[in-house]
Amino acid sequence: MMSSYRTGVPAPSGPATVDVAGLAMTYRVPVRTAGLRAAFRSLVHREYKHLAAVSDVSFQIPAGQVVGFIGPNGAGKTTTMKILSGILHPTAGRARVLGFDPHRRHRDFLKQIALVRGSSPISGPTELTVMDNFAYRRLLYEINEDRFRANVAELTGILDLGPLLGRQLRALSLGERMRAGLALALVHRPRVLFLDEPTIGLDATAAIAVRRHVADYARTTDATVMLTSHYMTEVEALCSRVLLIDRGRLRYDGSLPALAARLSPSKLIRVQQGDEAAVVEWERYGEVADAGPDHVTLRVPRTDVPRVTAALLAEVRVSDLTVTDPPLESVIDRFYRVASA
Amino acid sequence: MRTFALVRLAIWRSSLEQWTWRSFLITIVVGQAVTPLLGLFVWSAALPGSDTVATYFVVLLAVQLLTVSFEHHTLSNGIYSGTLSGALLLPQPVVIDFIGSNIGFRLWHVVFGLPFVALAAAVTSTHVTAAGLRLAVPAVLLAGTLRFVFTYTLALSALWTDRAHAVVGLGETVIFLLGGTAAPIGLLPQPLRSLGHVLPFWPMLGLPAETAAGMLRGSTLAAAYAAQIGWLAVLIALAVVIWRRGLGRFTAVGA
Repeated sequence: MMSSYRTGVPAPSGPATVDVAGLAMTYRVPVRTAGLRAAFRSLVHREYKHLAAVSDVSFQIPAGQVVGFIGPNGAGKTTTMKILSGILHPTAGRARVLGFDPHRRHRDFLKQIALVRGSSPISGPTELTVMDNFAYRRLLYEINEDRFRANVAELTGILDLGPLLGRQLRALSLGERMRAGLALALVHRPRVLFLDEPTIGLDATAAIAVRRHVADYARTTDATVMLTSHYMTEVEALCSRVLLIDRGRLRYDGSLPALAARLSPSKLIRVQQGDEAAVVEWERYGEVADAGPDHVTLRVPRTDVPRVTAALLAEVRVSDLTVTDPPLESVIDRFYRVASA
Repeated sequence: MRTFALVRLAIWRSSLEQWTWRSFLITIVVGQAVTPLLGLFVWSAALPGSDTVATYFVVLLAVQLLTVSFEHHTLSNGIYSGTLSGALLLPQPVVIDFIGSNIGFRLWHVVFGLPFVALAAAVTSTHVTAAGLRLAVPAVLLAGTLRFVFTYTLALSALWTDRAHAVVGLGETVIFLLGGTAAPIGLLPQPLRSLGHVLPFWPMLGLPAETAAGMLRGSTLAAAYAAQIGWLAVLIALAVVIWRRGLGRFTAVGA
C-alpha cells in the first residue's frame, strides 16, 4: 500500500484558511447478524461497530488555493467536508476554517462559507422561484442591496440563469438546478467554497460552464475552494493541488502531475507507421499497450522515453509520434485498486 | 428585527410549500378536529344542557387547530433523511425554519378548520364573550409556543433513536389525557385533576379553552398564566440543553 507523502506543491506560507490537525470522525453503527433470532436478540441487546470515516487527517490550505479532494467512494471526503463546514462534530482532532471552529456554527463563519453538493444542489421549499431564493439569501446573508443586484446580474450572465429566474425550483432540470444552486451559493461571495461532486449528472456543456465559473470565481475573489470529484478531468482543470484520501487516511498531498508520475512510472508513445507493410519488432522499444493496423502504442519507462523516441525516429519510418501520460482516470484507478488490495 | 424578518420569511416559504399538498392538509385538519368533537359529543351527552361544556369543547377545537405541532415530521424526518445539513449551513438559528413551518401549518389549520369550528358553534349552545376571548389571546399564544417547544424537544430524540415518531406520539397521548381533551381537567377524578393542574399539558390546550369559555377568572387566571410562563422557561431551557447535546451526534446520514 502507498504510504502518505507530500510533493509538488510548496508548503503554504502565512495563516492557513483551512487548518486541519489530527482530524478524526468515528461513526457508531448498529450491527447484527442475519436471521429472525438475531433480530429479536437485537431488541434487547444491540451491538454496535465503530467505523472510522476519517483518521488522523492533517493539512493546511492557504487563501486562494483550489484543492482537489479525491478518493474512492467511502474514503472520507464528504465527511471531512461536512466537518469543515460545521455540519458534523469531529470525534478527535482540530479543524479551523477562517479562524473559526466550524462545529460551533458561528454566524460570521457561516456567512463566509458555502457548501454545494451535486447530489442536492438546492435545499428548502421547491415551490419558490430562483429569484425568490436569491431574495431569501439577501436577507439571510445581509447583503447590501446594490451589491446584491450586481452579484445576481453577474451570476445570471455567467451561468445563463436569465430564463430560470422566474421558474420554481421543482420545475428545473438537474443541470438547471446545479447552475441555480451554484449561483445561490455564490451570491454572498463566500471566502471558502466546498464543492462536493458539483458536476455529477451534468452534460458536458453544463459541466464545462460550472468548471469555468468556479475557476473564474476562485481567481477573481481569491476564495479558497475545496473540491471533491470523481471526474479527474475536472480536478485536473481546476486544482493546483490534490489531497488523496483513502479509508479515512490522507495518502497524498501535492500536485496532480507529481501524483501521476509517482503512481505511473511509464509514459505512452503512440507511433503511426509511414510504411504499413514494414515489419517492426516493437517489443525492442517497449511494452506494447495497444496495436492497430496503422499504429501501435508502447508503454515505456519515463526515464527511457528520450532514448526510445530517438531510436524510433531513427530506425522506423514514422508518420506521426506522440508521447502522453497514461489517462489520469486509470492512474487513480490503479491507486485505488492497489490501496484496497 | 432580523430574526422577525427571517421568521416571517420562513412562514412564507413553508406555507407556500404546504399549499402544494393542500388536499393532504385537509385530511390532517379533519384528524385534528376529531378528538375535540368527540369530547363535545360525549360530554354533552354526559352533562346535557351544560352550555359551559359545549363552549369549552368548541373553543378547545379552535385551540387545538391553533396549537398543532408536527415537529416529528419536520425536524425528526430532517434528522433521519439528513436534510438538516442544509439548515445547519445557514447563518441563522436552525429553529427559525421549524418555527416557520409550524406557524405555516397552523395558518392552514385555521383556514381549513374554521368551517368545523363555525359549524360546531352553530349547532351547539356555544357562548363566548369578547372579554373572554381577549383574555384567551395571550393564553393561546403561550399555549402554542409551549406545545411547539414541547414537541420540538421530543422530536430531537431523533438524534438518539430512530423511533422519534413514537416518542412524540406518546407526548400527544399525554396531552390528550391530561391536557383537557379527554375531559376538562376539572372533571377528572383525583389525583389526576391535581396532577393535571401542575403538569405542562393543561397549559398547552385546556387552559386557553377554559379562559375563553369564562371558566377561569381573577387570581386563578393569573396563576394559570404564571404556570404557562414558568413551564415555557423550563421547556426552552430543556430544548437548548438537548439540542446542544444531541447535535454532536448528528451524522448527516444520506445527505
